[in-house]
Amino acid sequence: MHEVSLVRGVFRSLEEEFNSDQLAKMQTIRMKIGLLSNVEPVLMQNAFNAVKEDNPQYANVNLDIESIPIEVHCDICGKDSVVSNYRFVCDCGIPTNNVVKGEELLIHQVEFLD
Amino acid sequence: MSVEKSNKAARGTVKCENTTLHLLKANDFVAEAIRKEMADRGILLINMTSSPGSGKTTLLQETGKRLKDKINMKILVGDLETERDADRLRDVGVDALQIVTGGICHLEAQMVHQGMEGLDLDGVDLLIIENVGNLVCPSSFDLGEDYRVTLVATTEGDDKPKKYPRMFLTSDMMVVSKSDLLPYLPFTIDAVTEDARDINPSLDVMTVSSQSGEGIDAWCDWLLQKVEEKKGVLA
Repeated sequence: MHEVSLVRGVFRSLEEEFNSDQLAKMQTIRMKIGLLSNVEPVLMQNAFNAVKEDNPQYANVNLDIESIPIEVHCDICGKDSVVSNYRFVCDCGIPTNNVVKGEELLIHQVEFLD
Repeated sequence: MSVEKSNKAARGTVKCENTTLHLLKANDFVAEAIRKEMADRGILLINMTSSPGSGKTTLLQETGKRLKDKINMKILVGDLETERDADRLRDVGVDALQIVTGGICHLEAQMVHQGMEGLDLDGVDLLIIENVGNLVCPSSFDLGEDYRVTLVATTEGDDKPKKYPRMFLTSDMMVVSKSDLLPYLPFTIDAVTEDARDINPSLDVMTVSSQSGEGIDAWCDWLLQKVEEKKGVLA
């Protein structure tokens, strides 16, 4: 999608959430990015490095991305199954579009130097 | 600029802050505000998406011609540049406002919200948002709509849905357009329906041709029925 503006959005979200003393100690940003989010982790990582060049205060911050596979929940058998090849079908054979994982685009953990 | 991966192990003592910051939170917040306003006013809101050139504006011209005397409908249309689509819609007598995104490849809820301020929504039954032609980015942005309708033209190929899964996953209805060209193309309604329903089993499918008129009345009836349902909730 628009990885550079998303990275700017990451920093903006963190600047709203934490004060400048905390941000100065920020070490690692951990994100969860679902396969359905239209965001490519490698491009995100490169955009992160590019945005850091313009923002020296974040020069020592790392980005860690966890890629999340797509999972659907089946209302018939109650099971969650991983979607492969974009066939939204439960392991029991019933089609379902009840997506429970894979749409994530979120910061889930931030590490600070103590 | 360094392009290597930068997920090195953290050094020194580290404390963790567990958090959940959604990057689309701002958009979703505005989308909910739009949804609430539309519910209060009893206006049906449709978000129409597709690739460029699949016939969104032409379908909306035909829709406008048939519905403008039956209900009060308005259109917000997004494009990167020019006022051309809004002009085409005004030509058939529909009140339309152009949102020029200036290079942005999708509409965000904030743009729709600002666009709504430029329209007189008193007494309006139906507001259609014609999104920027793009099957990727618009899928991620909730605009507060009741229904998301995605067009696929017969000229695009019946293998489109799985190539752009999130768009079809998040849509309520797929409209196959340019059906008058079916005899000349290796495209079948069955194949595109099967491909799309692998992703989204509850997807509704309609077939239309703005040139021959096939399916346009059924499409307009669907809109009228949904307008009635929305008013019913209000009453």
